[in-house]
Amino acid sequence: MTERITEVAVGATRTEGGTRTRSYRVGGASALPGMGDAGARPLIALEICDDPALWPVVVLEEVGDLAGDLSGWAKAAEERWGADLVRLVLTSTRRRGFDDPASSGKAVGEVLAATGLPLIVEGSIDPALDTGVFRRCGEAGEGERLLLGTAEAERYRSVAAAALAYGHAVLAQTPIDINLAKQLNILLRETGVPHDRIVIDPYTGALGYGFEYSYSVMERVRTAALAGDADLAMPVISAAQDSLTVREVREAPEGERVETAVQWEFYAAFSAAVAGAGIVCVRHPGTVGMLREAIADLWGGEGWR
Amino acid sequence: MKALEVYKLLPKTNCKECGFPTCLAFAMKLAAGGAGPERCPYLDEETKALLGGATRPPVRAATVGVGARSFTVGEEIVMFRHEKTFYHRPGIMVCADDTSPLEEVRRNAEEVRDLVVHRVGQDLTLDGIALRCESGDPDRFAAASMVVGECGDLPRLLITADPGAHAAALKVCGQFLPLIHAATAENHEEMAGLAKRYGCPLVVRAETPEELADLAARCTAAGVRAILLDPAPRTVGDFVARASHLREHAVKRASPDLGYPLYLDTTTLGTDAALAAGILRYAGVIAVPPLPRPSLLAALTLRQNIYTDPQKPIQVTPGIYPVNNPGRDAPVLLSVNFSLTYFTLLGYLEAGKIPCYLFVVDTAGLSVLTAVAGGKLDEDLVKKSIESTGLAGTVDHRTLIIPGYAAPLSGRIEDATGWNVRVGPRDAAEIAEFLEKGE
Repeated sequence: MTERITEVAVGATRTEGGTRTRSYRVGGASALPGMGDAGARPLIALEICDDPALWPVVVLEEVGDLAGDLSGWAKAAEERWGADLVRLVLTSTRRRGFDDPASSGKAVGEVLAATGLPLIVEGSIDPALDTGVFRRCGEAGEGERLLLGTAEAERYRSVAAAALAYGHAVLAQTPIDINLAKQLNILLRETGVPHDRIVIDPYTGALGYGFEYSYSVMERVRTAALAGDADLAMPVISAAQDSLTVREVREAPEGERVETAVQWEFYAAFSAAVAGAGIVCVRHPGTVGMLREAIADLWGGEGWR
Repeated sequence: MKALEVYKLLPKTNCKECGFPTCLAFAMKLAAGGAGPERCPYLDEETKALLGGATRPPVRAATVGVGARSFTVGEEIVMFRHEKTFYHRPGIMVCADDTSPLEEVRRNAEEVRDLVVHRVGQDLTLDGIALRCESGDPDRFAAASMVVGECGDLPRLLITADPGAHAAALKVCGQFLPLIHAATAENHEEMAGLAKRYGCPLVVRAETPEELADLAARCTAAGVRAILLDPAPRTVGDFVARASHLREHAVKRASPDLGYPLYLDTTTLGTDAALAAGILRYAGVIAVPPLPRPSLLAALTLRQNIYTDPQKPIQVTPGIYPVNNPGRDAPVLLSVNFSLTYFTLLGYLEAGKIPCYLFVVDTAGLSVLTAVAGGKLDEDLVKKSIESTGLAGTVDHRTLIIPGYAAPLSGRIEDATGWNVRVGPRDAAEIAEFLEKGE
């Protein structure tokens, strides 16, 4: 394994043409963790949303009033919980009859103003809305080098166009399949999105709900890239987004629900880091600190090489 | 070594004395690790040794405990589960100190013994008690190990650097084949002597691969039958790096004295991260402090996930499953016998409190999407399943709700079965809303 994972810039500081207080280069590894030079430690993104009606109850109980206050929530992600990135999920676009793409752009602007952290934006999931939503989001974040998602095989043009027009990187999601991941990267390249502006999302099932497939696909994507497959050599992002609505969390005894929620996210996100993910995403604030410590510990190892 | 390379070393006389019809058949069995070279009476010692070294599993087996709860680790052959599978899930053993009141030790052991988590049709359990000698008193250590033994045949792990304490404990529980931790540069002769006398598996502990290999070789030479390696990590990162190094050397058969299962004690490493790391990266036995239930649940689930054979999805038995006490007019939902699909769907249906029947057909454990794409789920299967389960006698109506991903089959199922077909959602999360809306 002598190849390296392509570095993708996320976020832009003033000197880089944006307003972020820090920026990252995700990628750069030439081996999986524990097997050589694993590059910079994985980044931790805390997910927030603009319409809490579609958000896990266990998170809403934790964040309280912040759920209705996008600025406050984003600020807390940085200052209180210590996330590396904010991932804004525009859940409002998933409501039936949504017809206000301008509000999506506004939400992006509001989060950018509230925090200095680089931003991942998760837009609409409906081809009828995509063009408007992604254009507004891209525009609102111009120069900030957002990570804009999500491109899928059936609907990637709107995201790609917005990313190219306003200088962002693209999240490329495929359903737990290494060949589909590769195909989508090729499609994006043919659309004009360069390799160093793509992050692979191989889709992460929740722990106990197909996580093993995701874990192995992440390992396969990483080992294929390190063995020389340039069309898979982008950083991987992992977000086990169903973690907090699985049966184990829903049905946990009252006094154990928060701890179960945090562990369910933690075990999946930490495992993704071991499998070579460059960004891991969680929703419960309690998971962030635990994950940060564990990843630092994982990166603080002495091997025998 | 590949079968053809093995074949070149055999007599090629096809004498059948090994029990196989031809030398080539024997070679294939040898290469797969399914037979030993000693079955051929015509090999010289040198060839036997060469074949023996090249055809045994790269990570040797070790069994801890006796009886129904005993477990075997090792016999792994790959670095990544997608290359084949991981065979023996790591044993998780919960620590107790011998300075604790004996009643507490007993309670801990009983809790470990009785913990069962039911998930996707399997029972997940912990594997044993790790008894740590904190008292420095061999009699106390022996007494505590007796107490653990009174809680049933739970495998035991005895932890102390003092061979005297081990001798005392083994006198009372040696016949139950506990795992002994640990032989080091200082004490390995006495430890190996004890492990040999009682036939127990032994952990050797050292900071470098050279020292580990040296200790393993010495203990094996002293007659110890089963060995585990403890690479003495100070951080989770140490463990992952060292375990990966050891597994790689074992799989490549680079150094036979490193081809043993690994031991990890998470106590000083930050438990959840270390436990997850051990499950993901090659631990055979993991000693953990008593864990809160949420941690245990997540760890056992991760272990179940990682040690599922990628080629054999967990399956449920095909048939009709009533959910929420359905009546004869309740809707019938067609699904597949991929365990994950079944339990995910069941979860949403139970949460939605809607009475219905889950009608599970046999797709050999494939999901809806892959079963449809691969032709495993088709109108013939549905027709046969309706007949073999007697579905028509269970409900008064003749309507099947099929998964969204099976939509292309709807017309053909109607034609073949005479049942009406409604196409349901693709995502199980939307099933409750779909059923509530009704016709």
